[in-house]
Amino acid sequence: MRERLIRGALPSVLSVAAALLLCFAAIAVVAASAKVALDAYLAMVWGGLGDLPRFLDGAGVAVLARPWGEAATKAGLLALTGLSVAVAFKAGLFNIGAQGQMILGAIAAAFLGAQLELPALVHPLLCISGAAVAGGLYGLLPAALKLRRGVHEVISTIMLNWIAVSLVENWLVVGPLRARASGDLSISGTDEIAATAQLPRLLGETSRLHAGFLVAVAAAVLLHLWLSRTRLGFETRAVGLAPEAARASGIPVHGRIYQAMALSGALAGMAGALLVLGTEHKFPATIGAPYGFDGIAIALIGQNHPLGVLATALLFGALRAGGTRMQLFGVHKSFPELIQGLALLFVAGRMVWDHLLALSKRKRPAEEAPRA
Amino acid sequence: MLEVLEALLFLAFDYAPALVFASLGAVLSERAGVVNVGVEGMMRAGAFAAAVGALVVPTPLGVVLGMLAGACLGAVHAYLCIRWRSEQVVSGMAINLVALAAGTFLLEALFAPTGTPPIAQLERWSLPLLKEVPIVRAASGHSALTYLALALPLAFHLALWRTAFGLRVRAAGEKPAAAETLGVSVSGVRYACVVGAGLLAGLGGATLSTSTLDRFEHHMPAGLGFMAVAAMVFGRWTPLGAFAASAFFSLGNALRIGVASSAPAVLQVVPQGFLLALPYALTLLVLGLQRRRGAAPAALGVPYDPETR
Repeated sequence: MRERLIRGALPSVLSVAAALLLCFAAIAVVAASAKVALDAYLAMVWGGLGDLPRFLDGAGVAVLARPWGEAATKAGLLALTGLSVAVAFKAGLFNIGAQGQMILGAIAAAFLGAQLELPALVHPLLCISGAAVAGGLYGLLPAALKLRRGVHEVISTIMLNWIAVSLVENWLVVGPLRARASGDLSISGTDEIAATAQLPRLLGETSRLHAGFLVAVAAAVLLHLWLSRTRLGFETRAVGLAPEAARASGIPVHGRIYQAMALSGALAGMAGALLVLGTEHKFPATIGAPYGFDGIAIALIGQNHPLGVLATALLFGALRAGGTRMQLFGVHKSFPELIQGLALLFVAGRMVWDHLLALSKRKRPAEEAPRA
Repeated sequence: MLEVLEALLFLAFDYAPALVFASLGAVLSERAGVVNVGVEGMMRAGAFAAAVGALVVPTPLGVVLGMLAGACLGAVHAYLCIRWRSEQVVSGMAINLVALAAGTFLLEALFAPTGTPPIAQLERWSLPLLKEVPIVRAASGHSALTYLALALPLAFHLALWRTAFGLRVRAAGEKPAAAETLGVSVSGVRYACVVGAGLLAGLGGATLSTSTLDRFEHHMPAGLGFMAVAAMVFGRWTPLGAFAASAFFSLGNALRIGVASSAPAVLQVVPQGFLLALPYALTLLVLGLQRRRGAAPAALGVPYDPETR
């Protein structure tokens, strides 16, 4: 078990480490000083994990709680889009459409949050469910196109992403669902959601940590249990690994694929709901950040394992929350995204790692197995 | 009415080349059997390198630098996909993410957050005979890249369907094992095509920053790379088809911009979002209506492993 864990995680760990090193060198070269790079990295770490040095100097608990809130907010979004991509992968589909499914989820949550009047606990739950349904239905489209018409899901989800962006951001948000202007103020985005629909904050007002983070953690654990402990989960993995063998043993392959894509879309939709109910409190003029594409990176660096995805999301959530602190050293706040992209590139070359690891093993004569 | 049409065509002639180059690149790569969803990232690299290059050297040389930058990312994609048989979509998306973040980082570190300083735009050619004729004169007054974009698709069509090299490319994408039996180096052909695709995507990006505009802007190419993939699919993986689709999408975009600026009342009836979504919706529709299997090369996305022949 332990051996398997190490073997599975090692390429990812090495990839992230390589990306961190390469980016360190990039700052050092651009700023012509290793000191700046070191300071920027430290700022990123303390900005993501909580400012321990200042806390120990007696700065109060807020220097810890605020960074945790930022990191957990980002990690929640990354975990859900990462799980979305991962569950589709398990069924053998490459869902590039998490971005579009997330946008539909976000607009559904913003609509339900602003239009309905419900008691505090029920309201956010209903909004999240609505977002999951919207994202899930949108996720069924590429599955149907693939199974009925043979359209590859990579192509169809690219198209569906842009259709979602165009229809939501360039029509709904500036048209039918646009915020009603009050006074002379012109507001962008949709109406603010009701106070009852906002996700409650967990650490008081100093930190933006909200209940959505718990939703993401629960989703990861439940998905892990579902995949590893239930019949449906097993069948889904079988479909992804060997569809013909699965069909031969009586598993309804099409059904499992539809179900996995609905689940994938629903998870991405929930990410949209978290963004709206937890942070933005409305659908902003544009989602801006490509969280859906980040999900691809998170899923693959996490080796498509729900718990691996959660761990990766926590790491990059912290790095990206800390990234804003790097600006003090003249490094753009999107820098952690570069680390993430490079890490994905290195994971994509996972065969290279396997090759290098095999080489280093072969050097030790004791382990040299007789070769056939 | 004539002037409106002329202005529309002029806009389309300016807007189309970037899309044409990038979609031709995508055709080249995918015809050889390597999925290329990294076009967006390669275009971004090309646009950035061309604009930065043009600050120092003459703009045409900057365009060459942009092409080389695209080719570098193409080479990374090729190395991972061909030498290491990586998942091609993953590698492509990784290139997109790296180019997106690296572009932002370098732009911020070297210039301003929104864009590079303006550069000398590529010279616009005024065609002596054309510019006298109404309507047709929309074709005059563009940079050399526009005219290249008109000629290149035909050249690619002839190269792919009338030359030995073209046959090798298509064989590598349809039945690599058979091609290898006949002495074609599948990985050699694939390397050439994927690097060539990077070169073309880089050219497309360079077109944006040196010809369409006169600087690199922080959001470039703003999804045009994905639209190039759509144009390739819409054009059924053929150079002429991709060209027609690119021209059609560009005309649609020119129409949208024209309507938004001169007849905003129309947008009350047909929201802008519908027009923006149209190219993608049409591509999906065409894909959904076609016969099963479609026009994609048979070995597209399958890494070639000589040992499993």
